[in-house]
Amino acid sequence: MGTVQVNGLQMRFGDFLALPDISVSVDEGEFVTLLGPSGCGKTTLLKLISGFLKPTAGTIHIAGKEVTHVPPETRDTAMCFQSYALFPHLSVRENLEFGLRQKRIAAAERDQRLDRVAEQLKLGPQLEKLPNQLSGGQQQRVALGRALIMRPTVILFDEPLSNLDAKLRDTVRMEIRRIQKDYNLTAIYVTHDQSEALALSDRVMIMNGGRIEQIASPEELYWSPRTSFVADFIGGANVLDAEVIGGKGEDHWVLSTPLGELVAASGTEPKSKKIKICWRPEVVQPDGNGPNRIETQISERSFQGSFTDLFFTAAEQTFRVQLPEPTVRSGENLAFSIRPQDIVMLESMQ
Amino acid sequence: MTRELINRFLIYLLIAVCTLWLIIPFTMAVLWSLVDPAEPWTADKLMPPVVSFYRWHNMWVNSSLKEALLNSYTLAPSAAILTLLLAIPTSFALGRISFPGREVAKVIALLPLVVPPFVTAIFFTSLLFSLGLHAWRFGAILFAHSVLFLPYAIRIMTVSFEQVRQDHIDAARDLSASTIARWRVAYLPALKPGILASLLIVFIQSIEEFAIAFIVGSPNFVTIPTLLFGSLGQDFVRPNAAVLSLILVVPNVILMLFLEKLLRSANPSMSSGKGMA
Amino acid sequence: MTWRRWLQVILLLTPGLGLIVALIGTVVYIAIVQSFGLYNLTGESLLSAEHWAGVLERRAYGRAVRYSLYIGILSALFSVALAYPLALWLRKPFTGSVAVGAILKAPLLVHGLVAAFLFINVIAYHGVLNQFMQWIGLWEGPRRLQNDSNAIGVLILQTWKNMPFALLILTGAVQGISDDVLDAARDLGAGSMARFRKVIAPLTISAMQAALVIIFIGAVADFSFQVIAGPTNRQSMAQLMVFYKDGGRWHDAAVVGVSLMVVALVGSALLAFAARFILSGRRFR
Repeated sequence: MGTVQVNGLQMRFGDFLALPDISVSVDEGEFVTLLGPSGCGKTTLLKLISGFLKPTAGTIHIAGKEVTHVPPETRDTAMCFQSYALFPHLSVRENLEFGLRQKRIAAAERDQRLDRVAEQLKLGPQLEKLPNQLSGGQQQRVALGRALIMRPTVILFDEPLSNLDAKLRDTVRMEIRRIQKDYNLTAIYVTHDQSEALALSDRVMIMNGGRIEQIASPEELYWSPRTSFVADFIGGANVLDAEVIGGKGEDHWVLSTPLGELVAASGTEPKSKKIKICWRPEVVQPDGNGPNRIETQISERSFQGSFTDLFFTAAEQTFRVQLPEPTVRSGENLAFSIRPQDIVMLESMQ
Repeated sequence: MTRELINRFLIYLLIAVCTLWLIIPFTMAVLWSLVDPAEPWTADKLMPPVVSFYRWHNMWVNSSLKEALLNSYTLAPSAAILTLLLAIPTSFALGRISFPGREVAKVIALLPLVVPPFVTAIFFTSLLFSLGLHAWRFGAILFAHSVLFLPYAIRIMTVSFEQVRQDHIDAARDLSASTIARWRVAYLPALKPGILASLLIVFIQSIEEFAIAFIVGSPNFVTIPTLLFGSLGQDFVRPNAAVLSLILVVPNVILMLFLEKLLRSANPSMSSGKGMA
Repeated sequence: MTWRRWLQVILLLTPGLGLIVALIGTVVYIAIVQSFGLYNLTGESLLSAEHWAGVLERRAYGRAVRYSLYIGILSALFSVALAYPLALWLRKPFTGSVAVGAILKAPLLVHGLVAAFLFINVIAYHGVLNQFMQWIGLWEGPRRLQNDSNAIGVLILQTWKNMPFALLILTGAVQGISDDVLDAARDLGAGSMARFRKVIAPLTISAMQAALVIIFIGAVADFSFQVIAGPTNRQSMAQLMVFYKDGGRWHDAAVVGVSLMVVALVGSALLAFAARFILSGRRFR
């Protein structure tokens, strides 16, 4: 059983079913990210785990104890808020000490923990300041420190970086990951930024419409998405309909698609006769001599730095191909091939 | 779900309290105002034995009610307009010109609210006596009201002037609008809710004001509050006092509801004013 | 700033701020000067402290000061104490909360004198309250409730009139605290009492001080409630002042007036200070 164990969790707001049925387990020291578009239920799930919401069904266990109906103030979780939620009338030191004083931790240990966190987050010179005297990055670190100092069983992050500028975000992101490893913290992190999720997490849980689409390591999500939603949400794969028209050898499948007949060999079996498949824009082989050869007219070309996006249209659908230094111009023809192991078979078509 | 239960319980409790708080007192006042002098309403009867509008009619014909109404309802609009006119230049300076000591000036503008009204009233009369102006009661009360309620108008109008968007003014100038056109186009739309709110608040305050009207005005100049005060004192006739109370409260309720609506409708147009100068 | 700019600002401020300063300044000046025997309206002006000595010596003066303080402080405390829990309850909207807020704020629309009439009408010797208490059998005969000697009637009226005002100010302040900040406090282990003491109270203290001070100044200078519903054997300071003035004793009235201003100022400062001292989150750390 994991450090955080969620079983059959259901959340209903009046007529609206936000989470129909969620089960997930997070191990000790693991960094799990909840990723999805806004309104997918990721924040609701985080609020259920932290105790600010009470589920309409299901159970939550933290460190083996059932906490489904335990209020947040007595739950062993610590939350890092998107708005930081620092107490504006208290100094940085008082903010950091707040939780320890609530838990009546002895003064000696309190000072020791405070010193450690202040040093680790480089907050020493700021300790006597009020939150509104700090920069955004410093406020963010105080919010992080206020959660860390509690040494909680699980630390929860609610889009903590969304109010920082891009450059600062990268630094703080690495800092969070380093501290999480140092303390061997169990962390649950909510974001809608896929690059943040891929860079930080041991596992990413993709949510859509209150359901879990897939939980897997970032690499697995990227290369072996299970659904077209995941394939599209992570890195914008080309998703298309296909019909299985036969097998070829042991694990090769022949598919009829809008791009013509394609052969897939990505190790999974098709779930039914009519399925969805995907391939990543960067997997194409530019020689055009291999299997799954496609020749098409390029409609749009867009330079992106280390690679160039090329777009073409087939069966009223736009596809994207990425090549390092293509010579082809818009309006000209391009031939490429896709290796069978790069074509991923997804869910059945409805 | 317990919170919902508590809320429901609290709401019922509140409704019960409010019945005691508002409904019973007002019902009693209405009933008393309808008591016909033909037969008194004695303690042993649940309802007044004979009901009529005699008291209302009687008060209208035989008391200084007409005079008081006339006084109050000339005084209040005059005070409202005068206060607004006096407040506008100061509010413009406080809202649109940054000068050292502006915050201090804003605090000083609140002075009339801090000095107890009876102190102001008595020593204002003392001033009037020494200037020999104590006979001109209407003017004296009007002047005192206008100054005393200036803080409200200055406060509201300052905020309104702050809400005027510099880019609107600049755009008007850029399109070569004259000074008057500039005011009409850039200032007036942003100021309008503030102007109405100031007028209404000063109007209501002036209708209700007691201390100045009582000290400066008595005994010849009656307003509705001083008349009511009189009828609650030496010559206390319960049904008459009930009539006066109701006359004093009804316009207020209507005006305040209007004010509430006005302020609510004014808000969204103001919050859209981002990128202010 | 150039002198032309200054001139412009001063000209703009004159009709508004200038008038305020002139009128209030003159009134306060006259009050002070008159209390020292000058500015005599009927006779010769003589600078002396005899009016102060004379008035301060009278028992009525000491009683009036004590009585006004009693009314002022208790009215302010009751209004705020009632308004605080209501403001917290109404922080988050719920079904019916708008209606509840409107009902609670209704007394703002009712003139104090009307409220006083409604009140004495209800508690009158043959009023509904007396009738009701006899009907349920708690009281054997009607009791005289009007002008009670402890001024409970005045306190009820002051609270009735001022509580909505405190509620208005406190609701604004309480709603200004973000949900996240309260959630963060919960998350860090603060129960509802700790949340109130350490987060809500310190963050709303200025609003509470404002409510206390404004209600106190209004209630300490009360005249009409006292005359209509107050005890007949006591006088409030405003009442005493009007009494002296009506007797033509302007200098004595001025002594009471200046005292009233001093009491209002010192009293509000003390109340504000006490509120900060008691409710400040830092003291409890």
